[in-house]
Amino acid sequence: MSSTEQGTSSAAPAEPTTAPESAAAPEVPESFYYVHGKDKVVHKVSAGALQHSALIHGMISNLGYTEEQAKANPFPFENIDGDILQMVVDWCNQHKGKPTPPEDTNLPKQKEKLFDLVLAVNYLEIKELLTYCCKQVAMMVKGKSPEEIREIWMIPTDAEDEAAEKEAKKRAGKEAAGETAAAAGDAK
Amino acid sequence: MQLLKYPSLVQNEILNNMEFSNLLMLSFVSKNMKKLIKSSSQMQRFKNVNTIRYDHRDEGTFVYIPFYNLPENMLRIAKHDNTKHDYFKLNVSGKWFDFRIIYDFGHYYPVAYYHRDETECLLNSIHGYFLDFFGNSVKYYWHARDYKQPIPKLQNLSVCLYHHPGMPGTNSYVLNMRRFENFFSVSPIFKFIEIYKSNITEPLRPESKFYQAEYIESVQYDTTLPAILHHFQGRQAYLKIVGCENRDVIEFVGKWKSGEAFDKFEHIKIETGIGGFTQNEILNTIGAKHLDRVKKPPTHVLPKVYDWHNRNPNTDPITSHTYIVRESDNRVASILIEGYTFNFGVWDKTEEEFLRMIG
Repeated sequence: MSSTEQGTSSAAPAEPTTAPESAAAPEVPESFYYVHGKDKVVHKVSAGALQHSALIHGMISNLGYTEEQAKANPFPFENIDGDILQMVVDWCNQHKGKPTPPEDTNLPKQKEKLFDLVLAVNYLEIKELLTYCCKQVAMMVKGKSPEEIREIWMIPTDAEDEAAEKEAKKRAGKEAAGETAAAAGDAK
Repeated sequence: MQLLKYPSLVQNEILNNMEFSNLLMLSFVSKNMKKLIKSSSQMQRFKNVNTIRYDHRDEGTFVYIPFYNLPENMLRIAKHDNTKHDYFKLNVSGKWFDFRIIYDFGHYYPVAYYHRDETECLLNSIHGYFLDFFGNSVKYYWHARDYKQPIPKLQNLSVCLYHHPGMPGTNSYVLNMRRFENFFSVSPIFKFIEIYKSNITEPLRPESKFYQAEYIESVQYDTTLPAILHHFQGRQAYLKIVGCENRDVIEFVGKWKSGEAFDKFEHIKIETGIGGFTQNEILNTIGAKHLDRVKKPPTHVLPKVYDWHNRNPNTDPITSHTYIVRESDNRVASILIEGYTFNFGVWDKTEEEFLRMIG
C-alpha cells in the first residue's frame, strides 16, 4: 500500500511517504513519480507500478525527470476522486512486476464506487484492472430479470428514451432557429 | 451506476463478460439496449455463434449455443405448472409470456413458460426473437429424443431425431408404429435421424417422411424394418443391419446405377452381422470397374450432413480401386467391401473427370 499525505494545490506538494518496494531489490535504483486526484493527496508511485497504466507510462517514458523534478510536478488527475485514485495506486503497487491473476476479488462491492473506479481505470488505460472491473460490473446482473437489470444499471425505459429523444430534437430545433435568427440579425 | 454513461469501449467490455442468457435478458430491458447489444463490437462476438440448438427433453426444451462442445444454456422453454414463483412477464415478438430465472447446473438462466395450447405460439415468438437478435446466418437445430411431440415448423430450423430404445420391458422399448408414423407426417423433413430400434414391429409406409431425412443412422435386424435400402431419398446413411445380405446391396447399387432411385445419394456405410459380404459376387453382379492396381486411388470423404455427437465431422473415408458409373449422367461412385462392411461414396465427377484425378 502506498501511504499518502494531504497535499496542497501549490506546485511543490507535501512530502509523501514511499510506496512499498517489491520483494526483490532492483539493481538499478528505481525512479518514482507522483500523482494526485481531486483531493490533492499526492501518491508516490514507482515507475514499475505505473507501467500498468498505458496513459501514465506514455507520459513519463520521455520525461527523464530527476527525483526532484518528479516531486515538483505531480501528475494531476482532477477528474478522479482521491479514494478511487488510492485504490488504483494500491492495485498498481500490489501487481507491480507480477503476472496478473485471472480474477480479482478485492474490487469494491458498492455500485457507485465501482462505477467511478471503472471510469478512472478506463481513463488511465489500465487494461487488466479494467477487465476485472468490467467482469465485476457484468456479475452484478447475473441471474437478474430485465426489470432488476434496469434498476441496477439505471437504464431508461423505452418511453423515457423516446421522451429524451423528443426533448433533444426540440432543443436542437430551437438552437438552429436561434442561430438562423442571429445570422439574419448579423446580415442586417 | 448508469451503464449508458460509460464510454462505448467500457460498455463493450462489460457486455463481453456477460453470458448469452444474461445478454438475452438485457435485450428485453429496452429497445436501445437491444440495439447496443447488436452494435458492431458485439456483433463480432455474435459472429462466433453459428449454431443454436433447441434440445427437447422431458423437462422442457433447452435452448443453447454449443461452444466447443460445452453448451451455454441460454433459455429453457417449459410447461407452466401454476406453482407460485417469482414470475415476470416479457413481451416476446409482440406477445406476453411468463418468465422466471432459475439456477441450474451452476448457472442462472431464464425459463419461458407456456400454458396449455400455447406451445407453438411461444416457440414461434421466441424463434422470431432469436432470428432478429442473432441474425439469419445462424443455423438453428431442433434435437428431439422421442416421438411424443410433433416438431414445430419454424423458419430456418433443421430438425434432428436421436432415439434409443428404453430398457426391455418398458413402454419405450417397442416402437408405437402408429404414433411413430404420425410423428413424421406432422413434422418437417428431418435433417438427421439416428434410431437404434431393434423393436420396430412393421415396415414404415414407403412415402413416410422418415425416408426423406438427409441422413439416417440406424441399427436394425432386418433390411425391411425400415426399408431404408429401398426407399431412402436422402444423402447419407450409416446402417448396421444384422440380416443384410449380398442381394440387398446388389439391388441397392443397381437402382442407383440405373438412375431408378437414390439420385441425391452421396455416401452409405452398411455393416452386417451374418457371414459378411462376398466381394466378388457383388462386384461382378453390379458391373464394377477397377483402377490400375499400381495407381493410388483417390479418397472419397465428405462433410457429414450433421454431426450430432461432435465426434467426426466427416463421412468415413473410402479409398478403393473399385468403382461403378451411373448410366444416366456418367457419375462415379467408389466402392469398398471389407468383410462385414460395404462402403459406397458418390463423386461429384464424371468417369472422365474421376480418371483424370488419378493421372
